[in-house]
Amino acid sequence: MITLWIQGLLRRRFGSLAATAAGVAIAVAMIASLGSFIASAQSSMTARAASGVAVDWQVQVAPNADPGAVATKTRAASGVTKALPVGFAHSTGLSATSNGTSQTTGPAIILGLPTGYAAAFPGEIRFLSGTHNGVLIAQQTAANLHVMPGDSVTIGLEGVTPIAVTVAGVIDLPQANSLFQTVGAPAQSQPLAPPDNVLLVPSGTYGEISSALTVAHPELVSIQIHAAHSHALAADPAVSYVDITSAAHNLEATLAGSGQVGDNLGAALGAARGDSGYATVLFLFLGLPGAVLAGLLTVAVATSGRDRRRREQALLRTRGASARLVGRLVASEALIVGTIGGAVGLAVAALVGAISFGTVGFGQSPVSATIWPLSAFLIGLGIAVGAVVIPAIRDFRTVIVSQARAQLSRDHTPWWARIWLDLILLAVSAAVFSITTQDGYSLVLAPEGVASIQVNYWAFFGPALFWVGAGLLIWRIYRSVLRRRQGTVARLIRPITGSLSHTSSHMMSRTSPVLARGAVMFALALTFAISTSVFNSTYQHQAEVDARLTNGADIAITEPPGSHTPVSAGTTIQKVPGVGAVEPLQHRYAYVGSDLQDLFGVRASSITKATLLQDAYFQGGTAEQLMAKLAAQPDAILVSSETVKDFQLHPGDLIRLRLQNATTQSLVTVPFHYVGVANEFPTAPKDSFFVANATYISSQTGDSSVSSFLVDTGGRGTDAVANSLRHGLGTSATVTSIGAARSSVGSSLTSVDLGGLTRVELTFALLIAAASGGLLFVLGQSERKRTFAIATVLGARRRQLRALVLAEAAVVAIGGTIAGVVLGAVLSHMLASVLTGVFDPPPAALTVPWSYLIVAGVIAIVAIVAGAIWSARTAHRPAIETIREL
Amino acid sequence: MSTPTPTPLHLADARPATDVVVRCADIAHTFGSGPTAVVAVTQVTCEVRRDSRLAIMGPSGSGKSTLIHLMAGLESVTSGTISWPAFGGTPGGSPGTVGVVFQGPSLIPSLDALGNVALPLIIQGVSDAEAERRAAEALEALGLGWLSARLPDELSGGQAQRIAVARVLAAGPRLILADEPTGQLDRETGSHVIDVLIEAADRLGAGLVITTHDPEVAGKLSERWLMQDGELRATPHHDSEGDRP
Repeated sequence: MITLWIQGLLRRRFGSLAATAAGVAIAVAMIASLGSFIASAQSSMTARAASGVAVDWQVQVAPNADPGAVATKTRAASGVTKALPVGFAHSTGLSATSNGTSQTTGPAIILGLPTGYAAAFPGEIRFLSGTHNGVLIAQQTAANLHVMPGDSVTIGLEGVTPIAVTVAGVIDLPQANSLFQTVGAPAQSQPLAPPDNVLLVPSGTYGEISSALTVAHPELVSIQIHAAHSHALAADPAVSYVDITSAAHNLEATLAGSGQVGDNLGAALGAARGDSGYATVLFLFLGLPGAVLAGLLTVAVATSGRDRRRREQALLRTRGASARLVGRLVASEALIVGTIGGAVGLAVAALVGAISFGTVGFGQSPVSATIWPLSAFLIGLGIAVGAVVIPAIRDFRTVIVSQARAQLSRDHTPWWARIWLDLILLAVSAAVFSITTQDGYSLVLAPEGVASIQVNYWAFFGPALFWVGAGLLIWRIYRSVLRRRQGTVARLIRPITGSLSHTSSHMMSRTSPVLARGAVMFALALTFAISTSVFNSTYQHQAEVDARLTNGADIAITEPPGSHTPVSAGTTIQKVPGVGAVEPLQHRYAYVGSDLQDLFGVRASSITKATLLQDAYFQGGTAEQLMAKLAAQPDAILVSSETVKDFQLHPGDLIRLRLQNATTQSLVTVPFHYVGVANEFPTAPKDSFFVANATYISSQTGDSSVSSFLVDTGGRGTDAVANSLRHGLGTSATVTSIGAARSSVGSSLTSVDLGGLTRVELTFALLIAAASGGLLFVLGQSERKRTFAIATVLGARRRQLRALVLAEAAVVAIGGTIAGVVLGAVLSHMLASVLTGVFDPPPAALTVPWSYLIVAGVIAIVAIVAGAIWSARTAHRPAIETIREL
Repeated sequence: MSTPTPTPLHLADARPATDVVVRCADIAHTFGSGPTAVVAVTQVTCEVRRDSRLAIMGPSGSGKSTLIHLMAGLESVTSGTISWPAFGGTPGGSPGTVGVVFQGPSLIPSLDALGNVALPLIIQGVSDAEAERRAAEALEALGLGWLSARLPDELSGGQAQRIAVARVLAAGPRLILADEPTGQLDRETGSHVIDVLIEAADRLGAGLVITTHDPEVAGKLSERWLMQDGELRATPHHDSEGDRP
């Protein structure tokens, strides 16, 4: 019986079944594509987290343990590819004499590095000038001591004769935070900042130092074994985190107290694991409305076959079919639709994955590869059951078919409208939104220097409730306008319907629930398209801004420390083909009390020619206003909000900084006046820094040398221009292009490329918008055919009938578009506020992809109009057949 | 009541052309083609005048409805000629000249009774206010004014048919065609609907053609024709005025 039934359905109702299955397929494809994206994103997060770690494990050798044995055991640990001993010695201070003046620093750390360390751990040391072998001095320490390669530095040691060494090169330690961590200490006990003064010495020199110190003050020397672990990790950060931390614990157990593991790789993967969990929720949250809309679309399609199903049910019942049998037959229809739709959806998702994310699967682990497609398939099946079986069961319990039909024409206000659920949901949404954005959550820097995200999952409830509440509210408003503002609607559609405008508005008032449903679907599809595209574009834009912020401009040319490059060198750079604007940037160190901070000297009137300054970087004025203030007031200075807070500053307050005078090499006090706050600035670090006028700094310190040049290429051929500059400038300066910065900025979450997801979501949004608009006319076709047949008998001409449908299309399109745009704008702002922690830096304004939105809007409206014209044509053509049935 | 004779209908046209609302000359209508073709109407020659009060009787499938559709200009003849001399063209060219009442519900579900009755007038280009005034008049004339605001789903079958008649009345046609208008009504309601139709035709001076199985309905009309196998077999029978109920 069931086979016969299914055969009959496929033969006779193929179109309707195919439409329902297509709705299921869209929902399944949407969810499975999200899964595909998330799996691919997770994989990139793991890779990103691992690649960002310079030294995977720092094994602190216990004071009385044998470093050699610890190194051997570490090398023998599973997955460890390299392990080298590094000595840490505390110096009382470093001193140097240059140009007749002597400088002495505070306490310093002396690192003893074995041969080949830099090659084994390439991310740990960045060479700035001089040679790669011998004694290397950190950039800031070199600045403090005014030394260059070739200069002599004396290492002060507690209770031991100082040792003099010759500087071979200047370096930077990009991962100083993790390098100088206290291994085994909790996060709150970690040093607040890495040491200001660091000297790297070869193992021979270090041996001298440690031998002397071990006798006098053994507590001032220690040894770590730095290990590199294989980065062939599980794709899922959570799995790889567990693997790595287990391996670290295992090593500690093997060491049996002779060493403690500082698990940098585990920390990075732990942060990526958190980000990954957040990313999963975030991207599901952003994409799920699309899947829900596809589900609603399926229900709408399935509902169009409800009358047919009712008739068939009635027939089956009169022929003696039991409720059980009818239930099984209806379930078989749902099963067919769900299975076919689910299979097609998964196939589409695999195709989408291959095209957009470069993967056909839904994850690299067996669990992920199974869970996503299975979940999507089951959800599809659930939609099919919900759309077909549940209404059928409800109908089965309805006493008389005509009774159910009669209800459609009555003034039936849904239960939710009677209790004002829409407004309640919107009020709760607003309350949740207000609370969660007040509390907020933001990107925080972990002690290991890995950006991770603090998550407040409650924040998702605001937009989620807004979706539902706004959808219901549109329905209420739309229905109310159609029912109570018939005169207005008639005037609106008069250009289309002419003398039939009042008749048409009357008809629409009676069919307002159906039209309202179509308009709501259309509006929500547009809302989805707008909010998704705006969020994703803003996300992409901010990632670009972050890259620009990190690099400074399209190209940054960093001069070596102590090079004294004049401003005029910019002229040479300017001549390189492809170079647009060139801006010199001074980078100095300034003392505020005992605190050393970065100071950037700029040409305030022209810096924006070469780099981007967003208003969001500043407080106390826009970027333009604060640059104008700097330009107008030579001693003006922008400080960080942290400094403002620490020193209780008010605009106009005097700030005295101690800067190094180029002639005397001594620190001089330079007065500045605080005019505003800079939280971000191109090339500046994330923590405290100052921005002031370059000319003022030059005049006060006698040093007009440029630290770096920011180069604008207009975004064209940046890499080629960078290569030309490298070729032209030689090895003396470091040339970095924005392309390199793009791949290294932000947390592992912000590093996720949303390009593929954007394309997928936007395609689905467009599909749903077009389908929901066009579907309205397809679904109401049987009723419309009847109306048209009667109108034809009454003398209506084809153009009059077409006008009636087009008027409906206009009302749905106009109403739906207005509602969609308003909701899309509100939701975009809401998402940007709620998810502000995702953006780094926070956006100054939302990025609206106008071209996409205009194309999407036009396609959606064209779909509605095409649906209307098709409806008018097909409804008119066989009018006589309908008439025969009258 | 006269008994139809199985002979084709041939009319001698001695009346002025403008008095004849529809004239069929050897018309035929076939559905489909080839071996599955179904001949619905064949060799029908007849005419309906403005004072005609015709009942077309015949078994189901005899072609009555198709003939009505042909007379209304809703279907085209396969062969022969059909013309509407009183209209100076086809019914499609001058909307509202032919009013049709169907067996089943023929009101537009999304319009109330007043809107349904006013619709043919609005289609003709009459202003909304005027159309509503005339529709209200038509409803009042048939004693249906109290149903003006009701939707078709809120009307009984008899009420819906009478509203359909009011719609015909409001449009002021010169030919009223009713295709088994009492088929779904009880006898009493059906009888009332026929009375209303005859009253409407008289009021408008319009020709009236009603298809029916019911001899009692046919008995209310002055002429009765018989259709069988697509052919019109009855010789027109004219009751005397006294025969009219």
